[in-house]
Amino acid sequence: MGDNGSSQPLIELQNVNRFFRQGRTRVQVLQNINLAVAENEILCLVGESGCGKTTTGRIMVGLLEPSSGEVRYRGRPVNTLRGKDRAEYRRALQIIHQDPFASLNPAHTVGQILAFPLQRHRMAEGRGGVRRRIWELLTLVDLTPPGDIVNKYPHQLSGGQRQRVSVARALTVNPRLIVADEAVSMVDVSIRISLLKMLHRLRDEYGIAIVFITHDLALAKYFAWEGRIAVMYLGRIVELGPTPDIISRPAHPYTRALISAIPEADPQITRSKQRMVLRSEDIPSLLEIPPGCAFHPRCPFFVEGVCDTQLPTLEKVPDGSQYAACTPLTRGQELRLYGS
Amino acid sequence: MDLQSLASPTGLLIGALCGLVPLVIALRNRTPRPGILGFLACLLSGFACNVLGGLPMILLTVAVVVSYTYTDRDDPFLSRAALEEVDFEETFGAMVTRRLAGLGRTIRAASRALVRNKAGFLGFLGLVFFFVLNIFGPMVIPYDGQPHFYDRRREGAINLFQGPSAEFPLGLDWQGRDILSHIVHGGRALIITSVQAGVITTVIAVILGAVAALIGGLLDQILNAIANFILTIPQFPLLVVLAGLISFEDRFFLAVLLGLLDWPTLMRAVRAQVLSLRERDYVEAAYALDLGLPHIVMREVLPQMISYIVINMIFSIRGAMYAIVGLVFLGMVPFTEPDWGVMIFMGRSQGALFSAEAASMLLSPVIAVALFQLSLVLFTRSLEEVFNPRLRAGL
Repeated sequence: MGDNGSSQPLIELQNVNRFFRQGRTRVQVLQNINLAVAENEILCLVGESGCGKTTTGRIMVGLLEPSSGEVRYRGRPVNTLRGKDRAEYRRALQIIHQDPFASLNPAHTVGQILAFPLQRHRMAEGRGGVRRRIWELLTLVDLTPPGDIVNKYPHQLSGGQRQRVSVARALTVNPRLIVADEAVSMVDVSIRISLLKMLHRLRDEYGIAIVFITHDLALAKYFAWEGRIAVMYLGRIVELGPTPDIISRPAHPYTRALISAIPEADPQITRSKQRMVLRSEDIPSLLEIPPGCAFHPRCPFFVEGVCDTQLPTLEKVPDGSQYAACTPLTRGQELRLYGS
Repeated sequence: MDLQSLASPTGLLIGALCGLVPLVIALRNRTPRPGILGFLACLLSGFACNVLGGLPMILLTVAVVVSYTYTDRDDPFLSRAALEEVDFEETFGAMVTRRLAGLGRTIRAASRALVRNKAGFLGFLGLVFFFVLNIFGPMVIPYDGQPHFYDRRREGAINLFQGPSAEFPLGLDWQGRDILSHIVHGGRALIITSVQAGVITTVIAVILGAVAALIGGLLDQILNAIANFILTIPQFPLLVVLAGLISFEDRFFLAVLLGLLDWPTLMRAVRAQVLSLRERDYVEAAYALDLGLPHIVMREVLPQMISYIVINMIFSIRGAMYAIVGLVFLGMVPFTEPDWGVMIFMGRSQGALFSAEAASMLLSPVIAVALFQLSLVLFTRSLEEVFNPRLRAGL
């Protein structure tokens, strides 16, 4: 599913579940996630905070283990990888964190931060090679002239510059996939676009796949136009498909609500725009996920006896290219407002 | 270790040579005072450290000199040239120079940070004072150990006590001995034992705390249980009881015992810090980059805690000193004169509490201990600034 037609996905999550223990209670953060990312693909994970986007990203990179289910790297389960294979998997997937102020160690200069992985994994020949590579990487992430940056400490850099250093650090080990976890959300709006363009360029030039985690559908639309979007809600993927289709013809009621809520720069449009009215504004707690479809208490198209009892599975939408987890929809019924 | 025999003319020469650097720099900047201060500091420490300690001193001095002559523009790595025009290969000599300059800059930033906080610098000066007192004092002031009887007795006095006078600046004790000489000679054993205890405490606490936090699980629970158990023991009464059973002839044994009783507090703090540092994004990134556990502990986690660890070490030195003085005062540790603690004990038991001219016998060691403690505590203020990584780049 969602294989994009290529031979073998780079990384694949199969029936991944993840819970965290909170004292005696179990908080189910991810439920039955199936997701595959191909080489050179852009995939956006979209959803509100607490829906499990970041957890999914961390499981992909191998920083978290799934409670059940399997993660496969190039077709091989990662928990069976040992030695060299495991190191290769580790290096092939890198993560860029949200907070540029916390993701760089304040005790090291930019040069040191980049030199550590280069030296450890012998990614460059000798001292001169390491120095040359550091320059190349800094040029690659548009931190020029590199000579002005290498000896600086993170606190001497701006948020955007730090985020670029994070990207350069991830690139030291020649990754195949970068998980960008809200990578631009804490950066000033004016430099977001240039950061996104840089990530795009890396993808085009080096064939790196990018998993872009964001809560901002507008950003996802801009960034992943050639890729796919996975919309998450309370630990499940509710809709998955090519970006243009999801943006222009969203199938799942939750995605529709999200898209209708995107603010437009023009206040006239925003005011005249028809917003979808949910039945409830409250997001249910992860401790008490509603039975059936987790969205049913809020869904305006709620069908009694179906949505609150049957767990929807991710299936192809009858008249679209995307997959959605909504029982009435995938059965081919027309969605009607609840109570009408 | 006999510090006195370590001092030698060679050390003095090294100290004088190294001391020329701050002097010349300060005179060129027309600020003679810090220059003279730096010269004296170099001279003293060179004298005290002798040849073995002199070598690192020479290295540090050379580093400072190099950092003044070396400019970053010499390094193509830091130039603004285009990538194609730069030759990144670096000769061994160039690398050594670059590293030395870096070290020199760090020393300069650290010494500047040391001076920045007034209270902290005062503490530093206090520690230097005790350093000088304990190492150079004995060379100037001979130890007055034998009891005097009637040769120092004043007319009509019923005891040998004397208040401060020109001849004896701190007066005489109950056996007519010079109190100043006891103060000068009596601090070293106490300070060394306290420092030993502090270092032992810190080493145990840091290792166990880091292990508990990084490995976790059952080991973590066991270590925590032990720590909590030791914390519930009232330490000082236990020490008093132990002192009744075991003789602390060897002061190092006492230091070990103090270390074994004192580590839980710091261990729990270190554990908590490592637990929080472990979750930092940059540590996670280091895991993702597969940099290995040794790198993560030594390069990512510990540098963030070093100021905390050193400051806590100073506090445990402080605690150990109080405990030792307390034990000696209660007479639970075999007396070895000269010793500040023994002076307090003897002063009290020989009736110094009730006689005005004997007050100096009691007050001198008390003030010495209190001043040393105060210097330690004040000095931690400067240490905070010295270890702050932001200052290293503040040049």
